[in-house]
Amino acid sequence: MGDTVAGRAVTLGRGPAGRWPGLGGWLTLGLGVALLLSAVWTVWGFALDSVPPERRGLSVVLLVVGLAGGISGLARIARRTAGLVPALLAALLTLIAVEALLRAYGVPPGLIPTPTRVLTALATSRAVLLGDARVTFVQEALVGYLFGAGAGILVALAAVRFPFLERGALPYAGLFSSIPIVALAPVIVKAFGLEWTSKAIIVGITVFFPVVVNVVRGLQSASPLLLDLMRTYAVTPAASFRLVRVPSALPFLFNALKIGSTLALIGAIVGEFFGTTGQGLGFRIQIEAGRFNLDIVWAAIVIASVLGIAFYGAVSWLEARFTGWHARRR
Amino acid sequence: MRARPSPMAGSLGPMLLVALLAALLYWPLMLAVNVGAAQRTLDSGAVLDCQTALSCATRLRNPVLPAPAQLGNSLRAMSVPPLAPTSMPYNTLVTAGETLVGLLIAVVLGVGLAVALVASRAFERVTLPWLIASQTVPVIALAPMLAVVLGQYGVQGWLPKALIAAYIAFFPVAVGVAAGLRSPDPMQEDLLTTYRASGWQTFWTLRLPASVPFLFTSLKVGATAALIGSIVAEISTISFSGLGKMLAENSRASDTLALWVIMLYGAGLGIALVAVLGMVERWVTPWQAGQSR
Repeated sequence: MGDTVAGRAVTLGRGPAGRWPGLGGWLTLGLGVALLLSAVWTVWGFALDSVPPERRGLSVVLLVVGLAGGISGLARIARRTAGLVPALLAALLTLIAVEALLRAYGVPPGLIPTPTRVLTALATSRAVLLGDARVTFVQEALVGYLFGAGAGILVALAAVRFPFLERGALPYAGLFSSIPIVALAPVIVKAFGLEWTSKAIIVGITVFFPVVVNVVRGLQSASPLLLDLMRTYAVTPAASFRLVRVPSALPFLFNALKIGSTLALIGAIVGEFFGTTGQGLGFRIQIEAGRFNLDIVWAAIVIASVLGIAFYGAVSWLEARFTGWHARRR
Repeated sequence: MRARPSPMAGSLGPMLLVALLAALLYWPLMLAVNVGAAQRTLDSGAVLDCQTALSCATRLRNPVLPAPAQLGNSLRAMSVPPLAPTSMPYNTLVTAGETLVGLLIAVVLGVGLAVALVASRAFERVTLPWLIASQTVPVIALAPMLAVVLGQYGVQGWLPKALIAAYIAFFPVAVGVAAGLRSPDPMQEDLLTTYRASGWQTFWTLRLPASVPFLFTSLKVGATAALIGSIVAEISTISFSGLGKMLAENSRASDTLALWVIMLYGAGLGIALVAVLGMVERWVTPWQAGQSR
């Protein structure tokens, strides 16, 4: 990516964020996008390896100029605009540039499919992909995640209640979290069968350890001063647990839940590499990559990514709701 | 960031007791889950050197949970001679090498990106949302793709695995180092401004050293991720050695005992990587000793 150029170009000035950005940046960006689109248009509709050399040359020149314009415009916009707008614009630029480059050089779709081909695949095989997403996300990732997190919280509570458990069993939790889950996956799939339950178990195990470690650390991070205060007020231990320890553990719990949301999808997809009943995003990726239907593979990756981001976003939203008093500090 | 409590926190006694308890519970559990399959094997009339289902439970060819003796035998059989292409120590070393090269690439790229992120606000606004998004993306899904693409361009052997490991470890490192570069106190920065230090000098004497502990924290997270990356890469590319190749091969052959042994080696490698990084960390940043972030 040429974004580094943009990065270097704007180190000098830092405009105030949030103000309506100057028109110049938008104009330059628009010009760049127009040039990139014309670079795509120049080589659009040619079959593989039949792009005439002069068309290819023109397209590459348009691409370079358009990219330069787009990046410099984007840099000026990004200096003044916070939020998601600059990132989305960058993605748009990159996608058009990739489309132009792949078409100009006639890269076969069995190697890298162009973004439009991926979009087409998303549209045409959406029924299959949605079925896969339901199996992978709802059944495997979500069920495993809920059970793993629940069990993790229970074990963490037990570990805090019984110091013996904390000193004897907790170090293992740390140790286990450095084990690569892929090495675990085939054993579990062999033991529990090809149904979605085996994948849910893999997800549960992956989520379990970070939750245990973090919740224990969170419960113990409660200020001793506050606990003493509760004792002075003659608050019952149960109430003081609820009033002091639980709130101080929540940020740690949500941190673990966020880590877990990422791990859950990875666990489900890796588990599917070792056997399924014929559905699931990981299965689809594996099998279509073998057939060189890479547009469908990329479409599945796009769906997995959107699900991953949405899952993470949902947990972050819950975190903001329940620990709003704390999240401000970050 | 995920932080691990030190395994040697003066609790060796309870730890051993828990291990002993787990070992004692393992035996009845193993019998319980295997006895059904053993009964079925007996009923099918297979010739085994055992009579009752209970005694056969420790001798199944593909047990759900292997008996300790079975596991020990497989472990020994798969570990000698250590450097034969089919033995576990050799394949573990191959994977370890790929993972370490991947981590090295991840550090170089990650530190470079982190510097760019800290240097330019605009660059950060353009790329940071995608960096965060890419952390939530199941990167594993990309590994088979990258393997295909790299293979088509003639990048074969251990290099594509290292590149995939690097790709997966790269973002934790970049984000961690960027946080580290921003970590110095404004007071310290003010002090350097008072000394009329240039931006470059501030970076070199203050920001970079301050980022080192963050680098190690994210490296430990990245090491596990990179190991997963190189194993998945071995599964989904043509490979002739490595833990992933052994996993794929034995999973296809339904050799459960071998899978257990590979899992043990993988676990050992993961723990060893984190432990080595911890040792390097203590050596490079002794002032951080015992302080887990």
